Amino acid sequence: MKLTKRGSGALLAVILVAAPGPASAQSRGAATPPEMVSAYDALADVILGSRKAEKKLVLSLLAASYGHAQSELARARQSLKAADAAGARGAVENLAAAVGQIGTEGDNAVAGVRKRLLEGGHHANAEGEAQGVYDEGYVVVTKAAKGAFLDASKAIAMLARDPKAEALDNEWKKVEAAWAKHIASAR
Amino acid sequence: MGEAHRLGAVAGLGLVLALGAGLAPPAGLASAEAQRRFHFVDVAAKLGISRPLLSGRPGKDHLLDSAGAGAAFLDYDQDGRLDVYLVNGWRLDGTKVVERGRNGLYRQRPDGSFEDVTDAAGVGGEGEWGAGVAVADYDNDGRPDLFVTNFGRNLLYRNLGVGRFENVAARVGVEAPGWNTSASFFDADGDGWLDLYVARYIDCSLEDVLQAKPTLSWRGLEQVAVGPFGLKGAPDRFFRNVEGRFVDATDEAGMKDLALGFGFAVRAADFDDDGDLDVYVANDSDPNYLYRNDGGGRFKEVAVPASCAFDANGAAQASMGIATGDADGDGILDLFTTNFSEDFSTLYKGAGGGFFEDVSRETGVGPITYRPLSWGTAFADFDNDGDLDLAVANGHIYPQIDRHPEVIGTYRQRNLLLENRSIRDDATPRAPAEALFRDATAEAGPGFGSERAHRGLAVGDFDNDGRLDLLITSLDEPPELLRNDGAAGSWLTIVCEAPGGTAIPIGTKVTVTAGGRKLSRDISAGDSYASNHDPRAHFGLGRAEVADEVQVRWPDGTRTVRKSVRARQILTIRKGEG
Repeated sequence: MKLTKRGSGALLAVILVAAPGPASAQSRGAATPPEMVSAYDALADVILGSRKAEKKLVLSLLAASYGHAQSELARARQSLKAADAAGARGAVENLAAAVGQIGTEGDNAVAGVRKRLLEGGHHANAEGEAQGVYDEGYVVVTKAAKGAFLDASKAIAMLARDPKAEALDNEWKKVEAAWAKHIASAR
Repeated sequence: MGEAHRLGAVAGLGLVLALGAGLAPPAGLASAEAQRRFHFVDVAAKLGISRPLLSGRPGKDHLLDSAGAGAAFLDYDQDGRLDVYLVNGWRLDGTKVVERGRNGLYRQRPDGSFEDVTDAAGVGGEGEWGAGVAVADYDNDGRPDLFVTNFGRNLLYRNLGVGRFENVAARVGVEAPGWNTSASFFDADGDGWLDLYVARYIDCSLEDVLQAKPTLSWRGLEQVAVGPFGLKGAPDRFFRNVEGRFVDATDEAGMKDLALGFGFAVRAADFDDDGDLDVYVANDSDPNYLYRNDGGGRFKEVAVPASCAFDANGAAQASMGIATGDADGDGILDLFTTNFSEDFSTLYKGAGGGFFEDVSRETGVGPITYRPLSWGTAFADFDNDGDLDLAVANGHIYPQIDRHPEVIGTYRQRNLLLENRSIRDDATPRAPAEALFRDATAEAGPGFGSERAHRGLAVGDFDNDGRLDLLITSLDEPPELLRNDGAAGSWLTIVCEAPGGTAIPIGTKVTVTAGGRKLSRDISAGDSYASNHDPRAHFGLGRAEVADEVQVRWPDGTRTVRKSVRARQILTIRKGEG
């Protein structure tokens, strides 16, 4: 994990606080001073905890996209009922974008953050990447899940040209199924 | 010299040259000629283009060393003969700059040879490390101008019309220092002024480049240049043209490069056929972008729902170049992106409405392009049979792989020519199970036999014989000018001109109906990889000697129609006439 300047400073502070004086070091011989072990242990909690926090945050991002998709779906249905073709088209487009963002674990702005983490050498699922299960840097969305959501996103986007309630419902069922299979189970 | 110097005025010459070259009669091709359907010969040195293009260190310690540069076909002096512009890099030795390469402008003489007029024209590159070029009339004075992207400050060479240019980049606001790669001019907002999109690659300094060491382990076999992973992407930029001056409108237009994709190529085209120009950006190792123009120069990035951000497996590819054209003849623009070695280059079939589908595997394109590392590319009808073939420039970025040729091949690679088998009047029709494209490289003549680290690629009919030629750049070697000597069929080239001037309006769409087929071309400025094609619309007509109709849709949506147009000519159509 790449540390920012601020992060590096905080880490240095922890180490300095934990560092024993020369007399203490001499009295324990070659053994690592327990204060340093303790500090490292505390740091390990932070490092491992950050991974959990990362997963939770990404799940929140995905939930936000899913919620956005649901509200756009409702708006599209309302517009179709009201014979508001332009409104329906816009809502269906937004719905497609939201579903696509589930597949890509966030929009381009999130991709920028993910890329920064990769640049620093952080891979949330290094083992899964090596096994071909995850794309580089992805935390929750597997390749299989990505494919399902991207397919759904395209199918919904194509409906935007001439939205029909029944077709929209059919596509949404696929999104719900993919969500239940790939994301809800990971929560 | 007025009309006599116009491209259209050489129609007769084109006809004479075409017939003189022994083009096959429309009734059919003799078997020997059929075997020479594709035949390219490198005539660059013979015609006077021999300056090597510099590219960093021999070991390619930094990605800049291996990025190479682009090339352009243009007619800067508007004499009806295509000229050539070549962008150049620097030569390094370790951490030292040994030579700053000069860009080259080569004017074509009446005898077909080229004269280096770089100094007289004042377009040598100002000592910058060159990357790409786009050609268009940015100031609406009727003359084509040159925009040169650089690792450094960009240059905008305004064409003064007397064989000279002046660099106005700082004055008009497009210097944008950084690692700029490809650029595309297009009228985003329909105001009649060409706006500009500039793709950018990595955020790094010259010091980073000079101090770079090849420290990335390549398959545990070699240490090679680092990146692009591990390096920070540089944000692409969009400039709105306000009556000849450019304003950075990246954010306001909805084109903020939030993901900081490693931008290598850009192409503007009307992908959703709604009358305005959209923008497609090829990113190295990142998802590609499609900015849909929602009118008034406002864009929305829609590549994911449009299904052209990833390949069919949902994977981001290392895209280098772009070609657009109607490959399958259904009237809808298709997209082709070149990619890294051991990965398909990707053919996205246009599905209408701005949607795409990856058809690389079933069309044969994927398997043919799997091994090489591909860069510049173009859809073009090289055999004039009525469908669009594909040319692809290849070359690896790591010279170190030559020590392990058994792994994926070599650093220097052959280019590819893919024949489109939609139409072959002289052959047995393609069986339904046969792929749309086949590899025709081996029978494409000596021009396709050279192995180099190729990069930029531009298409144009430099000798006005109705057969499309190729201009291809390589790292640390002179460019190749591949003259097309194939036994091509009938043809028609359309030159579109703005009213009262000679500028070719970017964004114009030309549709020709001939032999029961409808063929379309769009006019672009900035294409391929960091390169610029001949802006004239070329059509192969197969056996047809007359085009039933030629229709020009101008950027403002108005149309000009010509009926019963004789083939084998270069025809000028001016907006507002007839």
